[in-house]
Amino acid sequence: MKPEELKTKEVITWCPGCSNFKILQAFQEAVAELGVAKNTVIVSGIGCHAKIYDYVNLKSFYGIHGRVLPIAFGVKLGDPTLNVVGFGGDGDTYAEGMEHFVHNCRYNADLTMFVHNNQVFSLTTGQATPTSEKGFKDGSTPLGVAEKPINPIVLALEAGAGFVARGYAMDVPHLKELMKKAINYRGFAFVDILQPCIIYHNVIPYLQKNIYKMSHDTSDFKTALEKAREWDYCYDKDQKVPTGVFYESERPAFESQWPQLKNPWHKIKREINWQNAIKEFN
Amino acid sequence: MVKNILIGGKAGSGSAVTSYLIGKIFCTLGYYVFNYRDYPSLIRGGHNFNVLKVSDKPVYSHGEKYDVILALDKKTVDLHKADLIKGGLVVEASQFRQVLDKLSGPKILENDIMIGYLFKTFGVDIEVLLGAVEKQFGKNAEMIKKAVEEGYAMGEKKENLAKVGPPRYFISGNEGISIGSLAAGLDIHLAYPMTPASPVLHFLAKKQLENNILVFQPENEIAVINMALGSSFAGAKTMVGTSGGGFALMTEAVSLAGMAELPIVIYLAQRTAPSTGVPTYTAQGDLKFALNAGHGEFARIVVAPGDPQEAIIRTQEAFYLTCKYRTPAIVLGDKHLGESGYTFDALEKSPLTASSYPVKRATSYEHNEAGHTVEDAASIAESQERRMKKVESLGKEINKLNPVALYGEGENLIVSHGSTKGAIIDALPELSGFRFLQISYLSPFPKEKVAEEIKKAKRAVLVENSATGALADVIAEHTGIIMKDRVLRYDARPFTPEFLIKKIKQL
Repeated sequence: MKPEELKTKEVITWCPGCSNFKILQAFQEAVAELGVAKNTVIVSGIGCHAKIYDYVNLKSFYGIHGRVLPIAFGVKLGDPTLNVVGFGGDGDTYAEGMEHFVHNCRYNADLTMFVHNNQVFSLTTGQATPTSEKGFKDGSTPLGVAEKPINPIVLALEAGAGFVARGYAMDVPHLKELMKKAINYRGFAFVDILQPCIIYHNVIPYLQKNIYKMSHDTSDFKTALEKAREWDYCYDKDQKVPTGVFYESERPAFESQWPQLKNPWHKIKREINWQNAIKEFN
Repeated sequence: MVKNILIGGKAGSGSAVTSYLIGKIFCTLGYYVFNYRDYPSLIRGGHNFNVLKVSDKPVYSHGEKYDVILALDKKTVDLHKADLIKGGLVVEASQFRQVLDKLSGPKILENDIMIGYLFKTFGVDIEVLLGAVEKQFGKNAEMIKKAVEEGYAMGEKKENLAKVGPPRYFISGNEGISIGSLAAGLDIHLAYPMTPASPVLHFLAKKQLENNILVFQPENEIAVINMALGSSFAGAKTMVGTSGGGFALMTEAVSLAGMAELPIVIYLAQRTAPSTGVPTYTAQGDLKFALNAGHGEFARIVVAPGDPQEAIIRTQEAFYLTCKYRTPAIVLGDKHLGESGYTFDALEKSPLTASSYPVKRATSYEHNEAGHTVEDAASIAESQERRMKKVESLGKEINKLNPVALYGEGENLIVSHGSTKGAIIDALPELSGFRFLQISYLSPFPKEKVAEEIKKAKRAVLVENSATGALADVIAEHTGIIMKDRVLRYDARPFTPEFLIKKIKQL
């Protein structure tokens, strides 16, 4: 399969030059190379990232803000044979949907979660999110964000995610490889993708200067945490920004612990034995 | 023969189990039983009680005056003796302390000694009791049987209650919802614990492997319903269960189900609200909430069963309709229906089952038939019209499903919905000139049938377990008829026939 076959005829309404085009390209290439198109479902939230629903020719669920993960988890429950990939924004995942993020790290269903982290609410015209840097000023926060941002990598590691990575939208070949690894991982795979918004949060120059690719033993949790803390999602001084896989370990996926979660439910022909069902009430 | 038996004690002392077992024994003998549970929101201590109404004729409600008080603690006597009928019997657990010492078992055995004592008074054969205990407790029955025998030996036979018919079915509304969902073809049940819906979660969870279904408790109600819709997208038939506060959290996704056209059954078990309200007590204050929850306009099914047999049938119908019309279905119950025990000669299921299928695209955005986002005027109008057509076709379909029922004879009419059915049916013989219109489908609303019956009546009285009588507003909205006569109860307690008769006669 060629990546082009995963395109749709819908008009793409991201801003010209938006880094979301790069994520779309990396994903289409990753799916094409893995040959998993037939079996893949994508789930999106609400925000700029979520428009990807209309641009990928796969089974898709355009969800609601913050609920990518419960919907994706539900799709997996509904048909455990599917390859389920969630796309969320940073506001979507770390503000509105934070509880689902933490719990999905813990549940470890065989899902993949890509977060388009531009550190800003863009489709609602540029308000701060939980990953906006301290001091970030916008229409809702003219005095500047007072708190330090959430570090989603540290959070995912501490919450028990088995596959934790950071990608950079502007480096498509590297992002594509990360996406392939994440999709192939048996369990909850999380990739925070730095996706600078060229309108409301253009940090491309900073990232181009400071980003590097990690090379450590990814099975070492302690090192993973140290690497995760190297950069605090702020821009007040030059800090190295690691990308790649922070941590990868194996533990049983959620579905493997439920004997009844093997096949799609819609294929089961059910007929209740009524006398048996009501016996206990007599 | 009619008897009201009150069983009370501290939470954790076994009044619910004792009441259930006494009810089961009567059902075995062919009697009809209604079991009301009254308990505050605490786990140990306080005061819980059950009222069992027993009769040789069908009963669907409990009474306010007691023939027998079984007191597991002193407080029970103090609180309820004023409602004991003249010549009524009070049995206190403390009477059996010596026997308990002899048995050297746990204190809870006092309840079983008491059961033996009580049924000796009624003149019921000991073998019937021992059989019921064995059926109920299986391997743990030996000690309990011994306790029942000890109590039986202490009692004095005053009556001769013989077997009056074949064994009856004893079932709660929550159990009805549960087996109704299984009969409909349930694949997945998701719920976050909330009284009074949790018994469905427990019932289905326990039986998940034998029925090859999945039961899971997610992180909150928002996750519950969004997971449910994800599974529905993949073709699973999914039910969620909750009460008012949990349903409030779900409403955004109720709207998603309407827009994305994904089947889902929502069991909404009402309790006394607003907010946390009175968590373990009953009310019907969420009717308009169920009818209006979710932003935007979309078709929905809201059906309110009146007893556990109806809970079975209506839950099946909810699955059938949500899968056929791909719009959300709410089964509207309450604590009184869910947790009370009812007796039936037989339990029937509906021939309707549901089947669903996976879809390729589902979206919360306005979309065309291919599932792609649209914002142009013509496509939006077309999509809205296509979805709203469901209201009309659903209306036709529910007309075939007995959306209303009439009981009794008379020129005056009582109008109600849901769990009030039991008390109303039991009150009817005392309310000459009144018949009863039960409205089971609240959405789509069977307006022609309802209007016809109300217009025919000399006087129409609305009965609802709420402070405002929301059903009257719903009737007014659909028929233009304003019902001024309203008998309402909003002290978190369900109607009893006594309460209803008094209030209706006062009108």
